Amino acid sequence: MTLAIKKLVRLATMGALALGVAGAASADTLKIGFLYPSPIGDTGWAFELDQGRKAVEEAFGDKVETFFVENVPEGPDAARILNQMAAQGAGMIMAGSFGYMNDGLKLAGQKQDITFIHASGYKTLPNFGNFQTRNYESAYIAGMAAGFVTKSKTLGVVAAYPIPEVVGIINTFTLGAQRTNPDITTKVVWLNSWFNPSKAQESARSLIAQQADVIFSLYQDTPSVVTVAEEEGVYVVNTSSDMKKYAPNHLLASMTIDWGPHFTSQVQATLDGNFKGTAYWGGMADGAVGVASLSSDLTADQVAALTSVMDEIKAGTFHPMTGPITDQDGTEKLADGVAIEDGAMLGINWLVAGVETRIPQ
Amino acid sequence: MVRLEPRTEKSVAAPFVVTALAIALTLVAGSVLFLIYGKSPIAGFKAFFIEPLQSSYGIGEVLLKMGPLLLIAQGLAIGFRARIWNIGAEGQLILGAIAASMLAIQFDGSASPYLLPGMVLAAAAAGMAWAGIAAWLRTQFNANEILVTFMLSSVALQLLYYLVTGPLKDPMGFNFPQSITFSPAATFPILIENTRVNASLILAFIATLLAFVFMQRSLPGYKLIVGGLAPHAARYAGFSDKKAVWIALLIGGGAAGVAGAGEVAGPLGMLQRNISPGYGYAAIIVAFLGGLHPIGIVFSSALMALIYVGGDFARLSVGLPGAVTTIFQGLLLTFYLACAFLLNYRIRTTRPAPAAVSSSAEATP
Amino acid sequence: MTETIVFIIAGTLAATVPLLFAAIGELVAEKSGMLNLGVEGMMATGAAAGFVAVTLTGSHAAGFATGAGAGALLSLVYAVLTTLFLANQVAAGLAIGILGLGVSAAIGKRYEGTTVDALPKLDFGPLSDLPLIGRAFFDHDIMVYAVIAAAIATGIVLTKTRLGLVIRAVGESPHSAHALGYPVIAIRAACVLFGGAMAGIGGAYLSTAYTPLWAEGMVAGRGWIVVALIVFGSWMIGRIAFGAYLFGAVSLLELSIQGLGVNVPSQLLSASPYLITIIVLAVISRNPALIRLNSPMSLGESFRASR
Repeated sequence: MTLAIKKLVRLATMGALALGVAGAASADTLKIGFLYPSPIGDTGWAFELDQGRKAVEEAFGDKVETFFVENVPEGPDAARILNQMAAQGAGMIMAGSFGYMNDGLKLAGQKQDITFIHASGYKTLPNFGNFQTRNYESAYIAGMAAGFVTKSKTLGVVAAYPIPEVVGIINTFTLGAQRTNPDITTKVVWLNSWFNPSKAQESARSLIAQQADVIFSLYQDTPSVVTVAEEEGVYVVNTSSDMKKYAPNHLLASMTIDWGPHFTSQVQATLDGNFKGTAYWGGMADGAVGVASLSSDLTADQVAALTSVMDEIKAGTFHPMTGPITDQDGTEKLADGVAIEDGAMLGINWLVAGVETRIPQ
Repeated sequence: MVRLEPRTEKSVAAPFVVTALAIALTLVAGSVLFLIYGKSPIAGFKAFFIEPLQSSYGIGEVLLKMGPLLLIAQGLAIGFRARIWNIGAEGQLILGAIAASMLAIQFDGSASPYLLPGMVLAAAAAGMAWAGIAAWLRTQFNANEILVTFMLSSVALQLLYYLVTGPLKDPMGFNFPQSITFSPAATFPILIENTRVNASLILAFIATLLAFVFMQRSLPGYKLIVGGLAPHAARYAGFSDKKAVWIALLIGGGAAGVAGAGEVAGPLGMLQRNISPGYGYAAIIVAFLGGLHPIGIVFSSALMALIYVGGDFARLSVGLPGAVTTIFQGLLLTFYLACAFLLNYRIRTTRPAPAAVSSSAEATP
Repeated sequence: MTETIVFIIAGTLAATVPLLFAAIGELVAEKSGMLNLGVEGMMATGAAAGFVAVTLTGSHAAGFATGAGAGALLSLVYAVLTTLFLANQVAAGLAIGILGLGVSAAIGKRYEGTTVDALPKLDFGPLSDLPLIGRAFFDHDIMVYAVIAAAIATGIVLTKTRLGLVIRAVGESPHSAHALGYPVIAIRAACVLFGGAMAGIGGAYLSTAYTPLWAEGMVAGRGWIVVALIVFGSWMIGRIAFGAYLFGAVSLLELSIQGLGVNVPSQLLSASPYLITIIVLAVISRNPALIRLNSPMSLGESFRASR
């Protein structure tokens, strides 16, 4: 409703402007194409990217025109959709998955008048930037909460691929839990899929059977794991969206993402002609990641502890990966008081002590 | 009394009539589908069948898709004519892709002009070997090749997953399940500038020529067809059943393997989990739709490629969901199978005749 | 450890339901000589249609009925193609398989990622309260037991009744059955429709009870496993059921082993049903007597009575 009103107001003012400067062209609207790897649905990764698209529409109104294609597999067909977006006059393209990287780069090389922003990934060009979130920050907070509530001292993670981003999140989740509950063990099931609801559920149940009483649904695109936790009566943490409605009683915390600010700034840069293909890594300080729907089972003191660490992270006075940290083999990876460098975090391929499962080689 | 009668001689035009009829029925059903989605059928068909052909890029994409479909379908059709049902081309394609990738990874950075031909040969050999398992089990153990080729496809997929998450994974690729990007010497050169059409399309047309010569002009091809049409007569004439099984499966597997090389050394430029959007299965439709004839398959592969590409165009320009492409493929085969009936039988109204029983095993595609 | 064993037993019983329902249907179809490779598509269509029905009505019974209807409707296309138009069974199965995947995606589009309430679990009173055993065997919804009953009933009908005899006769030699005056085409069509309905129920269980949510592609290859299962079980319901439970258990074991910190190549386990099936097929096919005993002789062949 408010959105509609805002749009009306904007239309009215734009109209007035257009009347004022007679003959102002309306043809120079920026067309922005959004490409999602999975169906938008109700919740999850693609849904949040689409929320970012809506934020762009709301911020720029008539200056932009957005369109999207959902459920595009990361394979040879993604290139065609990207090219087709370019052919339809897109001046900017958001490629919403790691696997679009090479096709996106190829197109960006050919069409230098189009700007690209690409989710995750690690390559850039002057007109091709990528974006990630520091989900490891919110994972640390969620881990602290898990440490507060666990009785079995065992946490279970249903994880997608063992890429650095996921490995880093498992690490800080475990470290956060160890901060509030020293003898924590974390078990992981690798699904090798962003999307396999029934296998994700079976994994969650197998972790519960192995005494895990907090389950972490890490980058699963559906609420599958969250619903299992609600049914089995164990706590659950999830990524991307607030999934309170799928587990009203047992959601411990949702690690949320807000792409709105970043997308908006990149669209602004494109409109202003000063887009730079940068690697954006947004954290709590930027409002890109957050923690939502903390369980009411947490005491006021516990919530206060979480909030104060969040404040430290936001202020930049605390990094979740701060030594002393040893890896699974007992090797010291970070000395006392030393925080991990961004470069090392981006390529992290070792798990901290306390995580039982290995990274598949 | 309505009665069915096998056609004793087939008219030359019949296959074209059947295909045209199937396409027409698909268009009618497609119109209904578009209306259900609240889209104008005219706009929908324009996006599906005309828009892709309006730009050189679009035509390039159609040709790009056509390559693997044409190649695989030519190989499969030869087997189907002999009534040997290789439905595991998807797996044979995957094996070809793996073999080609292994060479590309092993000789990464090499500029040798022999690398790419070597990859193609390795892919053909791997595809043949995979199909050869089915041939061996059929000839030695009498195991049904439909079921074996079918199941070997699922095994091939798991083998691919294992290799891209393990031995063939890019060591610098942040653990993501994909291989390194192939160097230029390990990829097919682009044929038409600003498109993705690459030289593997030429291989598909060479395969078409070979299939034509083999089926229309050679003795082994003739034996295969006879064996398919009249197994008893063929055996009586001394044509070996086992040999036919081997030839049919090896040709199909080899062609699918080469198609796999065309994908990893073509548009993908690497080995990854998704290497084929079901080309191995779509090629079965293509083979039938082309009347199992080398020339017919050229047209049917172009049509199927157009449906794939048009589906993607329609998603963007009309906003139709991707499922429409899949439904179109299914409808096309369904209607073709229904219409193909007219190819082999004629409907006659006559007076009741005495009951008789006959087998139709050799009559239908 | 005992918890893990309970999980695997209980999990297997539930995970096998969609497989076994579809396998029962496919077995009956194949026994009548109809090799329908479109199981994946029928399951997907049943899953989507069943999910929509449960969302709209809130009734699981309606969901299963709709799933069965949708699966049967799709299999009707196959039946018409193969019996009336004498189409090749492999091609026709493939056609409805692809069609079903497309149709399921279209039906479920608006419900992507949404959930419904799971099927309630039965209360066996004191049995459910037994330690370990109670949770392993007596903490399930009705379909977990219904599928076992359906398997037993199907076995009895196929082997012990006149109806079963007729179905098998049609599958063995449609021409002799026809000569004896049986309506071959009607029987084959009915068996195919039964197969479609059962696959639809299996799919509906997946989307409305097992997961319970709808997501495109959620059948995830189960239809192919079903086709393999029939061969693995050499067309005998007991062995098919054994195979279904075995495959279910192996896939859950894989996840448990991961959680215990042992790394096995999960792909080998995922491929094992197919590898074992190929071996079984080779073994039973080698012996003509054995294959004659089990597999329907006319499987995959069209039948035309000219009169």
